[in-house]
Amino acid sequence: MSLLTMILKMSEGLGKTCAIFFLTLLFSLPLGMIVALLRMSKVKVVSAVTRFFITVLRGTPLMLQLLAVTYGPYYLFGANVARNKLIPVVIAFSINYAAYFAEIYRGGIESIPIGQYEAAEVLGYTKLQTFMRIILPQVIKRIMPSVTNEVVTLVKDTSMAFTVSYQEMFTIGKQIANSQTSFMPFLVAGVFYYLFNAIVDYLMGRIEKRLNYYK
Amino acid sequence: MAGESKNTVPSILSIRKLEKSFGSLSVLKDISLSVDRGNVISIIGPSGSGKSTLLRCASFLETADGGDILYDGQYAMRDGVYASKAELNRFRTRFGLVFQNFQLFPHYSVLKNITEAPILHGEDKEEVHERALSLIRKMGLVGKENAYPYQLSGGQQQRVAIARALALRPEVLYFDEPTSALDPELTGEVLKVIRQLAEEKMTMVVVTHEMPFAKAVSNRVIFMADGVIVEQGDPREVFDDPKEERTKQFLRVFER
Repeated sequence: MSLLTMILKMSEGLGKTCAIFFLTLLFSLPLGMIVALLRMSKVKVVSAVTRFFITVLRGTPLMLQLLAVTYGPYYLFGANVARNKLIPVVIAFSINYAAYFAEIYRGGIESIPIGQYEAAEVLGYTKLQTFMRIILPQVIKRIMPSVTNEVVTLVKDTSMAFTVSYQEMFTIGKQIANSQTSFMPFLVAGVFYYLFNAIVDYLMGRIEKRLNYYK
Repeated sequence: MAGESKNTVPSILSIRKLEKSFGSLSVLKDISLSVDRGNVISIIGPSGSGKSTLLRCASFLETADGGDILYDGQYAMRDGVYASKAELNRFRTRFGLVFQNFQLFPHYSVLKNITEAPILHGEDKEEVHERALSLIRKMGLVGKENAYPYQLSGGQQQRVAIARALALRPEVLYFDEPTSALDPELTGEVLKVIRQLAEEKMTMVVVTHEMPFAKAVSNRVIFMADGVIVEQGDPREVFDDPKEERTKQFLRVFER
């Protein structure tokens, strides 16, 4: 198999790689905020339960979580394994990344001085106005570098979908590598991820720059 | 309380028998005071005496444990029980608070810091804008409308904070050590602005360590120590002829 055929075949899986990437961000970024707010809840039971789930999701391998979400329903209830693996894959990724984003959000929210809340309160901002207008914009600026880190990691983590044989780029590469007994597909995959992340870095850098209008 | 009984108009702020503890530490013990319209009251005293806590209780940032807080004769807290949230929100429009470390919103321009709250309260945008510009002029900040807080000196930031509080047209303005976070050469410009407000008969309560300022600007000085009001009265009397030993002791430190 020529290098070009390899690249073309693997490119076919890029759409699925992108699907995992964008859908995971779409769900995990907002879900992370909900988890963060639950984690900071004044109701002790709520924050304790949330904290437990976060430690489980961060403390066990993503690969294991992928297998659990994809095949768990079969072993537990005898349910059919989803025909479109994108669904369990995105669910597993979204939950896992939400746990990481939640901790980033929480760190960001807790870093805002209490005086900002007090100033808003005295000025008559409602709780929601205070959060949306005063706190959140400052949190976003502060957490951008950490979020960029996670997004870069996500690009590479999409390769883990091969464990449930979802036909994304890396899974295809691995199959070619096996059938052709060649290391070449892995190098191609590496270049793909590198380029993908170069774009991510560039875009995130631009967002960070845009937020640099104040200190 | 001097003068209160003669007054038919209720004081803008009345505090009676206010109590506040942090855990087992009692920081306010049986505090009573009233603030009449047009008056400037300075609260002085050593750190830890409860001055700031008193202001924070009056502005509902701290929850007091007992006593009464009245705005314009209406109970915000009666015998340790607070009015409803909605009522407290209405009382909140009566006062403004200027913090020691400004607490401007760093992601907003000077203008937006001043205009956002009144606009959120449903006031006319144009009118708020005009008001903000006139406050900016008054605070000597012309040309800084579109600057961000980090681009301003501490003194300028504090003047923006004063403008922000005034934009809501409060009936009384509280200052919690407004110059304590400033370099000495910048305190003057902030005190000058407060003095100007005093001349315009703005009602103010100022917690301060600036003794000459307190003496020159206020109608009444309150000396607090260990959570109680030790002595209060005309600034000349309190400063030049204090009655209480604790006051004398405190003021002696500033003579040097």
